[in-house]
Amino acid sequence: MTEPRQGIASTASTGAPRRWLGSTGKYVVLLLFALLSLYPLLLIVSTSLKDPLDVTANPFTLFSSFNPINFYDAWTLGGFGGYFWNTVVITGITVAGVVALSSLAGYGLARFQFPGNNLIFFVFILGLMIPFFSVMIPLFYELRDLGLLGTKAAVILPAIAGASGFGVPLGVFLMRSFYMDLPEDLADAARVDGCNEFQAFWRVMLPLSAPGVAVLAVLVFFQTWNNFVLALVYLQGSDNQMLATGLYLFAGGRSGEYELLAAASLIMTVPVLIFFLIFQRFFIKGLTTGALKG
Amino acid sequence: MQAGMEGGATRVNRPKRGFVERHLYVPPLRRQQLYYAIVFISPALALYLVFMLYPFLTTIYLSLTNWNGATANKDFVGLSNYARMFGDGAVLQAFWNNAVWVLVGTASPVIIGLFLAIILWSGARGSLFFRTVYFLPFVLPLVVVAIVWQWIYHPIFGPLNRFLDSIGLEQISRGWLGEPGTALYAVLISAIPGAVGFVVVVLFAALQSVDESQVEASMLDGASWFQRAWYIIIPQIAPVITMVTSITLIGGFAVFDNVFVMTGGGPGHASEVLATYTYSSAFQQNQAGYGSALAMLITVLSLVSAVVFVRLRERQRND
Repeated sequence: MTEPRQGIASTASTGAPRRWLGSTGKYVVLLLFALLSLYPLLLIVSTSLKDPLDVTANPFTLFSSFNPINFYDAWTLGGFGGYFWNTVVITGITVAGVVALSSLAGYGLARFQFPGNNLIFFVFILGLMIPFFSVMIPLFYELRDLGLLGTKAAVILPAIAGASGFGVPLGVFLMRSFYMDLPEDLADAARVDGCNEFQAFWRVMLPLSAPGVAVLAVLVFFQTWNNFVLALVYLQGSDNQMLATGLYLFAGGRSGEYELLAAASLIMTVPVLIFFLIFQRFFIKGLTTGALKG
Repeated sequence: MQAGMEGGATRVNRPKRGFVERHLYVPPLRRQQLYYAIVFISPALALYLVFMLYPFLTTIYLSLTNWNGATANKDFVGLSNYARMFGDGAVLQAFWNNAVWVLVGTASPVIIGLFLAIILWSGARGSLFFRTVYFLPFVLPLVVVAIVWQWIYHPIFGPLNRFLDSIGLEQISRGWLGEPGTALYAVLISAIPGAVGFVVVVLFAALQSVDESQVEASMLDGASWFQRAWYIIIPQIAPVITMVTSITLIGGFAVFDNVFVMTGGGPGHASEVLATYTYSSAFQQNQAGYGSALAMLITVLSLVSAVVFVRLRERQRND
């Protein structure tokens, strides 16, 4: 380490410890990047409210006309109403599935001692390191042979299994460490009071793990709602498209209709934003505990 | 990566058992435990094995065959798919593009995000507002981000070219996504705000544990802003910076959505990455075997680079 003293002359004159950067400079930097982060969203909101003529005249002038009928058109003519419900169903079942299976398995690994416990945990952890592309190809043929290709299950089952990132591997990892931190005496006490293991889990341990469940559910929600590649590969040509693939197909097909595309983008984005603003705490906690534990 | 695995070692109450006991004889109480364990664990394990581990192992096998994905015959061809990659210009291009993506797409968000996080932490008004705004692009669906940036880059109507024209830089404006020289970088830039948001939020959380008395002492000693950041603050959050960097890095080898939606890997193979080439090999050119070999390349590259990076950091810390 070198001496962090060279700058002494500059602050000695001001007397008080100097503020970080000049105050104005600081806010210029912060605002500039905020603008860059917000601009794409502003562009979508503005375009989704334009009338088609205005779009051809000034496609990217912000908020130059007001034509909210675009949302109705995207929902019905564009078919995004259907994609929306498909996405809701797929996301809902995936979140419920990951939460249920991971809490059960995480609890099982944390509470019961049996030969192979650590091996099974390691096998789950392996799933955190396998990128989607290294299961993509055989999974296509497997789903086809099971007759699932093009059905909602073709996205749900791989998503729960963790093919696209946050699934059972992450869930088991999170929930197991959560249950390990809970005192085991609680479950034992429940057993003494006459519960069997399932009742002890369901009535005592699961409610106590609610914060962990919330973090997991929020992470899986974002991942599944925004998922593109699972739907792209396993729903190709089916009418079970999700919002992400619906948008992609629409953008490729009728590239002229920016106002509908923007409205459809907003239909996909608004639930995410609402969810984010409500559950921000859990989402950020999930991301930071994952990273901070290192 | 997801550390904390060593949590298993901290478990108490676990009686020490010998090899024989562990493997052959299961006493009655343990037998009951085993029964419960099976019931609790098997649903998750079954799904994971069928839709994750089995296809993963199959990919390894397929990468050693010349299967075309349609016919029944799968000839075992050894490592020839892997050998073929070295002579395939598109793979070399994709590999290079991934390397650019990993380097630029990791370094710039980490640096920008670190800078912003320290500014916010050092006491800026509206810190919560800025953090929320920075985080938004990370939450947005990638497809939506890709589509909007396609508009921004539009050669004629796009706001970027309009802006350049308006400030007299019309010789710079071009079809950003259509020209081989700029396509990859144009896509890469669209991915940076999201990555920055992630970095800011995680590092801001880490900064909460920085020892403020040291920072104040360094202020009294007259350290400059950069000296303070470099010598006092960054060393204290270095492990988290390593974590964030390796998470971003690993994602860089599997990047797909942005490139696929914005350019499809084009023009030509100018913005091709390994994941888009894997997809097109397997599903458009009917080369399931070759595609599987490419998928293995992605897996190995992301694992190796993560391990190498973490090792380097550890060695640096021990010095």
